[in-house]
Amino acid sequence: MRVVLLTGKGGVGKTTLSAATALGAAAHGHRVFLLSTDPAHSVGDALGRPVGGRPVEVAPNVVAQEIAVLDEIERSWAPIQAWLRQLLREGADELVAEEILVFPGLEELVALRAIREVEALGDFDTCVVDCAPTGSTLRMLRFPDALAVFMGGLFDMERRAARIVKPILDRIGVHGLVPGDEVFAAFERLVRDVDDVRQILLDGDRTTARLVTNAARVVVDETRRSFAYLSLYGVATDAVLVNRLLPPTAQDGFFAKWVAREQTEIAALESAFGVPLLRAGLRPAEPIGPDALRALAREVYGDRDPAAILHHGRPLRWRRVGAKTLLEIALPNVSKEEIEVAVHGADLHLRVRDARRAIALPDSLVGRVIEGAQLRGATLVVTW
Amino acid sequence: MRLVFYTGKGGVGKTTTAAATAAYAAACGRRTLVLSADPAHSLGDVLGVRLDQKTTTPLRVAPGLDALEVDSRATLDPHWGAIRDYLVSLFRHQGIYDLCIVDCAPTGSTLRLVTLPEVASRAVKLLLRVQRAVATLVSPVARVVVPVPLPGPEVFRDIDRMLYERLAKLRERLLEADTSVRIVVTPERMVIDEALRAHTDLALFELACDAVVMNRLYPAEAAAEAFFESWGRLQEERLAEVEESFAPLPVLRAPLAREEVVGVAALAAHGAAIFADADPAAVLCVAPRLRFARGKGEYRVELPLPHARKDALDVAKLDDALLVRTGNRRRAIPLPRKLAALALVGAKLDAGVLTVRLGTPR
Repeated sequence: MRVVLLTGKGGVGKTTLSAATALGAAAHGHRVFLLSTDPAHSVGDALGRPVGGRPVEVAPNVVAQEIAVLDEIERSWAPIQAWLRQLLREGADELVAEEILVFPGLEELVALRAIREVEALGDFDTCVVDCAPTGSTLRMLRFPDALAVFMGGLFDMERRAARIVKPILDRIGVHGLVPGDEVFAAFERLVRDVDDVRQILLDGDRTTARLVTNAARVVVDETRRSFAYLSLYGVATDAVLVNRLLPPTAQDGFFAKWVAREQTEIAALESAFGVPLLRAGLRPAEPIGPDALRALAREVYGDRDPAAILHHGRPLRWRRVGAKTLLEIALPNVSKEEIEVAVHGADLHLRVRDARRAIALPDSLVGRVIEGAQLRGATLVVTW
Repeated sequence: MRLVFYTGKGGVGKTTTAAATAAYAAACGRRTLVLSADPAHSLGDVLGVRLDQKTTTPLRVAPGLDALEVDSRATLDPHWGAIRDYLVSLFRHQGIYDLCIVDCAPTGSTLRLVTLPEVASRAVKLLLRVQRAVATLVSPVARVVVPVPLPGPEVFRDIDRMLYERLAKLRERLLEADTSVRIVVTPERMVIDEALRAHTDLALFELACDAVVMNRLYPAEAAAEAFFESWGRLQEERLAEVEESFAPLPVLRAPLAREEVVGVAALAAHGAAIFADADPAAVLCVAPRLRFARGKGEYRVELPLPHARKDALDVAKLDDALLVRTGNRRRAIPLPRKLAALALVGAKLDAGVLTVRLGTPR
């Protein structure tokens, strides 16, 4: 199943373009699932009809769903919650038991897990995802690495301890305090889910991100940052969508300076990414409802199939050159001073400004010293 | 110190509006601090300065105006870590400033931020109890089996006290009369819808809104251009609608400028246009708050919940708390002891106020 993630600074028209992309893909003969993972759902607003936590057909060959994160969490975390409740035995704190399980990043994770469930349905060949605004999306992409470290370390240890302690406690009559195997199993399921989601996100042959932006400086700056971060996390970006461009007639009146500014920003955008830059003009009225959205899709994608991969490029690549191993990471729009590279155990830790990532090393490289790290153009090359 | 949070759907110009308020207040002689708690920082971009996220010392950007972007990379857990840092900085700056403007993350996460003290103080207590229980039981054996020692109970006790005190203090601070939230909107359907939801959710947690800022309104001259005519008319309609929905909150009008508002001078001028004759640091509207009232043989809990919908509202009583859920948010409102003993006998939603009756069950 093809997965298209639309993300970008909030308010740039990400939801509208997600819905347009879904409807446009359906017009090209695809069976499309439109998934909203943004906690502030607005897919329904764009389509001009209610969309909820259950999949609903919103147009021929387009099914939409807004993920109800709390319900999803309740569903998958039942054993863990049961354990917590047993510990508490005070009704009023049940609420808290739920809240506590919604740790930062979990919402996004649970939401993204839905992609896998859509795939499992087998009825759709394309899934268009309306992602949370940039900040949270990036956090979510980092999350798999962080969680694996956390879970791997903490829970293995506790589980080993619990196995030994539990029989003793059971005998002396202290029940429920040490988590049972079903609790650990639930955590393990979560780790597996995370891993599945990550496999999907990092598979450049089917998953690509599209950055939605406006031609305004603050937004463009952030789009350039996001592009670098996505690439750092190994997610391929196949297009940048510039939304709400002012019409040509605007250049003579009140909006003259905005039009000039847009042109400068467009020029910057064109040179910054090396992926197709698609444009959508400001419309005379808000595009709401399937017809308006289809028209918008035609304007953005032209004859192109919105579900196609619009650009092929690998953000992360391992290579062998003689006795050396090279890791190449495409990092456009960053300077040398903004990058830190270090090896910790079996991971390569990479920091670009305030984003971090742990890249698992192939076994053959664990314990070996990095020979060097160099920024060659827009590619970071780490050599062992 | 007056504390004002700016929130709204991402991209509505929240950061610019927050910075404009701060710059204008500083120009009016208020010692002002503007803080950004948005993980995707753009406060520095708007002010036209480079803010170093490694420091917790605000940068002086103009006379009477300091700015700080809260670091979001200090911990593995960026969201909570950042908030903790930000809390620390907030308390540290008490007394130095007359006004603190906080540019929050987009609406969803902002609620997280402002509701966090309440949820977290309960959650932290719970988590610590769980960990303590496990640690007390597991430690003696674990020390033998597991090479890494688990922390002893004394460690948990300290963390508990520290966090609890700090969070409780913040919660109190947020409920004080000089703390307000301002919601920034643009004349767009989706933005307004989300603002309405945010207003309900904020009220659920007793966070008082004192104004709505309608951003990017086309000035007459812009709306007169042919292509923009229908947008101009639409904006007028939306403005009227927002004024009606959010009444009695004042709706401040922020005009679209001829170019991007960047730099302290431009921001101060923009702020002056937004506030017209109003004082940017004043409490612009005093909203009703949660109230416990005594009736005939029963007590009433009155919680203002503007725009709440009956079908998305759930009320229940559990021990000493009243559980209220609106859409995706929920809260356990602690009840005074006298009311905790009573039973829920009725609830109704009328004119944006949820009234829950508590009495002796028959």
